[in-house]
Amino acid sequence: MIRNLQNSLLIVLVLSSCTEKKTHADIEPVILHNTMQRLTDIIVHDIFSPPVASRVYAYPSIAAYEVMAQTDSTYVSLSGQLKEFNGIPHPTTNKIDFELSAIIAFINVGKALIFSEEKFEEYEIDFISQVKENGLDETILNNSIAYAKIVSDTILNWSKKDNYNETRTYQKFTVKDETDRWQPTPPGYFEAIEPHWGKIRTFVIDSADQFTPERPTKFDMNENSDFHKEVMDVYNAGNNLDNVQSEIARFWDCNPFVINVKGHAMFATKKITPGGHWINIAKIACEKDSADIIKSTATYALTSIALADAFISCWDEKYRSNLIRPETVINQYIDADWLPLLQTPPFPEYTSGHSVISGAAGVALTSIYGDPFPFVDDSELVYGLPIRKYNSFTAASDEAAISRFYGGIHYMPAIENGITQGRDLGSFLIGKIKMKVDQ
Amino acid sequence: MLKRYTLLFSFFLSLVACNNKKPLFESLSPSETGISFQNSLTESDDFNILDYLYFYNGGGVAIGDINNDGLPDIYFSGNQVKNKLYLNKGGLTFEDITEKAGVSGNSNWNTGAVMGDVNGDGFLDIYVCAVVGIRGLTGYNELFINNGDNTFTENAAKYGLDHETFSSSAAFLDYDLDGDLDIFLLNHAIHTQESFGHANLRHKRSIETGDKLMRNDGEFFTDISEEAGIYGGINGYGLGVAISDFNQDGFPDIYVGNDFHEDDYYYVNNGNGTFTESLKKYFGHTSRFSMGNDVADLNHDGMPDIISLDMLPEDEKILKSSDGDEEVNIMELRTSQYGYHYQFSRNTLQINQGTSMFAETALMSGIAATDWSWSSLFADFDQDGEQDLFISNGIPKRPNDLDFIKFVSNEQIKEKIDATKLVDQQALDLMPSGAVRNYLFKGTGNLTFENKSDDWIPNESLFSAATAMGDLDNDGDLDLVINNINGLASLYINQINEKASYLKLKFDYRSPNTKGVGTKVFSYHNGKLQYKELFTVRGFQSSSEPTIHFGYEDAEKVDSIRIIWPDNTTQTLKDISVNQVLTISPTKVNTFDYKQLTNVKGKLFELLENNMGIDFIHIEDKYIDFDRQRLMPYQVSDRGPATAIGDINNDGKTDIFFGGSKFIPSQIYVQIDSSFEKIHIQEIENDSIKEDVTVIIQDLNNDDKNDILVGSGGADFYNQMKPLLDSYYLQSDSSFVNESFPEYFENASVIKMADYDNDGDLDAFIGNLSVSNDYGNIPNSYLLNNENGEFSIVENIELQKSGMITDAVWSDYNNDGEIDLIVVGEWMSPKFFKNQEGELIEDKLLNGGMNGLWQSIAPFDIDKDGDIDYVLGNWGLNSKFNASEKYPMKMYYHDFDNNGSTETILAIEKNGKYYTLEGLDELSGQLVTLRKKFTRYKDFAGKTVEEIFDGNTLKSSEILEVSNLKSGYLKNDNGNFYFHCFPSELQIAPIMALLIHDFDKDGKDDLLAGGNYFGVKPFHGRFDAFSGALIKNETDIKSGYKIGLDFTNKSVRDMNIISINNSEYLLVTINNAKAQLYKLIK
Repeated sequence: MIRNLQNSLLIVLVLSSCTEKKTHADIEPVILHNTMQRLTDIIVHDIFSPPVASRVYAYPSIAAYEVMAQTDSTYVSLSGQLKEFNGIPHPTTNKIDFELSAIIAFINVGKALIFSEEKFEEYEIDFISQVKENGLDETILNNSIAYAKIVSDTILNWSKKDNYNETRTYQKFTVKDETDRWQPTPPGYFEAIEPHWGKIRTFVIDSADQFTPERPTKFDMNENSDFHKEVMDVYNAGNNLDNVQSEIARFWDCNPFVINVKGHAMFATKKITPGGHWINIAKIACEKDSADIIKSTATYALTSIALADAFISCWDEKYRSNLIRPETVINQYIDADWLPLLQTPPFPEYTSGHSVISGAAGVALTSIYGDPFPFVDDSELVYGLPIRKYNSFTAASDEAAISRFYGGIHYMPAIENGITQGRDLGSFLIGKIKMKVDQ
Repeated sequence: MLKRYTLLFSFFLSLVACNNKKPLFESLSPSETGISFQNSLTESDDFNILDYLYFYNGGGVAIGDINNDGLPDIYFSGNQVKNKLYLNKGGLTFEDITEKAGVSGNSNWNTGAVMGDVNGDGFLDIYVCAVVGIRGLTGYNELFINNGDNTFTENAAKYGLDHETFSSSAAFLDYDLDGDLDIFLLNHAIHTQESFGHANLRHKRSIETGDKLMRNDGEFFTDISEEAGIYGGINGYGLGVAISDFNQDGFPDIYVGNDFHEDDYYYVNNGNGTFTESLKKYFGHTSRFSMGNDVADLNHDGMPDIISLDMLPEDEKILKSSDGDEEVNIMELRTSQYGYHYQFSRNTLQINQGTSMFAETALMSGIAATDWSWSSLFADFDQDGEQDLFISNGIPKRPNDLDFIKFVSNEQIKEKIDATKLVDQQALDLMPSGAVRNYLFKGTGNLTFENKSDDWIPNESLFSAATAMGDLDNDGDLDLVINNINGLASLYINQINEKASYLKLKFDYRSPNTKGVGTKVFSYHNGKLQYKELFTVRGFQSSSEPTIHFGYEDAEKVDSIRIIWPDNTTQTLKDISVNQVLTISPTKVNTFDYKQLTNVKGKLFELLENNMGIDFIHIEDKYIDFDRQRLMPYQVSDRGPATAIGDINNDGKTDIFFGGSKFIPSQIYVQIDSSFEKIHIQEIENDSIKEDVTVIIQDLNNDDKNDILVGSGGADFYNQMKPLLDSYYLQSDSSFVNESFPEYFENASVIKMADYDNDGDLDAFIGNLSVSNDYGNIPNSYLLNNENGEFSIVENIELQKSGMITDAVWSDYNNDGEIDLIVVGEWMSPKFFKNQEGELIEDKLLNGGMNGLWQSIAPFDIDKDGDIDYVLGNWGLNSKFNASEKYPMKMYYHDFDNNGSTETILAIEKNGKYYTLEGLDELSGQLVTLRKKFTRYKDFAGKTVEEIFDGNTLKSSEILEVSNLKSGYLKNDNGNFYFHCFPSELQIAPIMALLIHDFDKDGKDDLLAGGNYFGVKPFHGRFDAFSGALIKNETDIKSGYKIGLDFTNKSVRDMNIISINNSEYLLVTINNAKAQLYKLIK
């Protein structure tokens, strides 16, 4: 990560070899991507759950976009387009570098939302000192930093009213002895995460329940019931996975905290969240499209907003239906020793989070980059998984959705209805907000 | 005698006086002893703690005289290194005779090592356990038969003992009393702990992991596990085994300690060759990660008690950076759905209560937290007549370090996830070391121990596991031999020598049980009973010298010794001089009658099976307070049910009202002839939504008919929700009518009636416990004035805000003829309100230091001096709470995260500083910002409460305090009241209910106390150990299990005396259980 940063700064450095004080920091899109990567790394380190991580992605992305949207008349501010968001103040001076402000505002907001601040501080200090070394005029540097502060304060004040803080102390999910009700799953038996995420303020959609999916199949373990069949489908699929299916499941695992237990010894395997994976696909799209910094911030903003609303919508449903996971049902009724390929994440089954958010993110990215858009997804290389190729965002989101079935953690309706839920939400969202004048 | 005492005293004085304290035990070096055994472990990529979960459990050690020269010899087993046999040459020097003896072993992973005379030739043989079949480990359990000439012949196969399994240890016992030694083989599971699996996995036998009972059939041991009822599943993580005749019926029983979620097993010997596993019947809860254990009679009642070790750290830094207790919901899931028992991560000390359940006291006893503990050994090391306790400790790597689990491991290994070996080695390197000291506790005789580790044993950081005892220098006291991982074995030589009296007994019993394994000894001196059994396999993976040792402080002779031989014949020795070794063989024996031990005399209560028609079962609703307010110290939603007795149908007979919990109607039983019948009163059942916590049946409008007043609560309803309103039912001609009552929305706890204004009607005090969703806030309690059956609130702000009230009593404490009010509650001192011409004015009678978690109060002349004293039920000492006047327990109450809802943070003192009770996960579960402040557990661990929260936050908090957790009584000394605490038997759990009655018909009132409480997180466990107590006076207190009460493991909430057909019965109401009815049999 540091190395990446240094490489990119080296480019900046080479571009600016003269000693005169410069009026522009000449920040390239790669800096934005690296900063986003830093945020991702810290999210992974701090172990944010998928819904919370989606919130952590959204606000910094919006901050950066709002700064940049002022610089290009073809872009439109999100002011008035996002719930309770009235935009950011304009700078009071023109001695400012907007790109620089955008990056710093991103860092400021990100830093406030994650735990390990020192990890972002380190990065920020490195970044600013490189900008200095690069010869940016000090007044401009200081103005840009000051403006970023105003922007990030505005964004953070707005973020504080989204009910995140209040929901921290809402009632925990209570485990009850009901046959169809979700219960903690091995090996960690963690409590259900974010049972009140549906009460978080949405960004664009009218309400958390605007895209309530069809009811899940009624729990019924009689042999001829639909539910029994769906359970057996998961069980049989899990027992007969071919290599491609296993690879797909692992590729889209995106579980931020897999616990490995060996007697008293435990260690965690941590990965990006589902939202983090799509943020990385957004980066891949930007890079493939050679998107400039403003287009890149727009890409991140739209993707992260779609992800955040999709998580709210999905979580609203999860704690409406509170459906039991396949692993629990199969262990109780069919095979006590059965293990899904993936570790079951700690929240109710319906609908599949990955299906909903991939559906939404796929629609958002397609709205910017079109369909088809062939790309190579190397997001999981760092976790020792191979690359995968897709012809479009839609194809990628289809695969992300079915991966949960192969992984043994979802029944089929959660996938099919989940991707519908996500795409409906995504379509609504891109119809509702306008980021380009010509849209 | 006096001289000896002085000598002893000055000896201890010298221990205390000088700076260079001479410890009770001195460690000898290998150059002095010749013992250089070292259990060195070699980790490899293929074989380490990630491949084999018990990689750090260590080897074994056995002490016994292998050549019958009177000097105990030592055998060590090594995991990977060769085993060693050291011959005792006298003068604490030893000779390594391993090679010549042929006992170095052939397995490549040895575990427990035990000595026993397997073939009955009078020479001790050695049985060495092995782990075979994991990661290429080969070998088998080896049996080295003693040839009698310092050489041995390995002959396990011939005896059928050459198991190729995952063995931890083995224990000798003659379970079928046929005169030879059988073997219980303890095996351990390696089942990857992916999921709990259902508890009934234990019924399906697995060869490698299942425990085995091997019957000695002369030349061969036969596996009779299955027919004998021994479990052998893949879930049995057997690490500890203890043999003892726990129930004193003449047949040895077996206790197996299992690691992880598998329950411990308590095998009661049926006397017919079979066992009945009875853990849940006799134990309210156990340790969770059970390791070694040991048995001894600690409280001089002739019944064996048992300790089981776990791994709860004492040190704050380690405690708060280690994975801790289960979450409430998970415990519920594990117990109710998966069928396991209650288990908590700490040492447990189980006190034998005969035919009742064991009472667990480790927290009160001061021995619950001794870190990563392996071996426990009870013995009277200082020879004062009380059992002391040694605990060995340490692990080379702490795999449950939270930073390792959550942060360290991942960052280092994520890029190499498929390269398993690299992962393992790197992961290993990142686990913190668990090198810690061993513990030694001095027994005090009142179920508590004093930590003498600093004074009595060398302060060395080791990885100590298997430990054995023996008198290596034949000076009459007990020395310790410890098998350390990656370090030289320790020899701790006891220096008490003859500064206190002792007696050492050896047995010469008939072959094949030549050492008399299973022999019991009752020793009596100065009116004190000490009891021991000879079972050599004790502690962890080891066996001790086959002798029995007693200490007698300064006594010069022992009054008598009763010996019960393994065949249950008995003989008695009288007037025995101390400080000698006796070798005893059976002479002039007769059959022992065990009934004299176990028959309970002095029963006052007889539990009725049919309950005379009172089939009331209280069902507590499943609401969990911690789901809403995670940091509450305990629940407040489960304080019911209400109970009142009185004549409801005007037939002159006493009827019963039981309150229901939320959504469950209250139930009324009327007395008809000689039984009870449930009746339905619609008006009352209509209020079933309410949780009825307290109730009275009295005539409130002076129409000679009883009325009913119900106090509602339950802490689930909040704000101005109607179910919080109390209910007032007036009896009209034929039914009850809901009458208007002052509207206030509180969680009721107590209603007490009295005519405090002398106007001829009953007025009410209604005490309230808590504010829903705002624990820590003081609720309003009310004095209500009765005017012709109509109640109105009497303004009295002092009383209204008097605290979190649990109980109250109207009583003329100042003897001025006017009835006064005394209220008690949590986080407050008992408060006296003086009745001054109809006005209740707080009378600050008590000195400081009386803030408690008071649960009950009763006026009772406990010192029989004619004035009224007040008995006070408190939280007791058997919890993780800790409070004193100097260092009160503190509860900070504040909206810490400024989000509109309040939190409470509890802090207790340790070594002069205050630490939060909860760890980072629990605190940040409610206060997310702490995650920003402490990004690593090690940054948080060891921080005081002041360091965790900034000063301003703490300053703006309200602080509630508790400085006394003991139950006791306020003794009336001419109108002044002084607090006296009860003995430890009454501090074993919260005392929730008190009842005055002359139970034993001696013409004097007695006080009956009941209690126990389960509304706490697994962090505390379950307060289930109180069997009740009959308090006759200050010194005469009888435990409930001795007088016929069955209160252990039941949370008693109310007790009433009911007259049925001119006989008296005790009605006991229990939270979440069936009501009990006892006949008073005196």
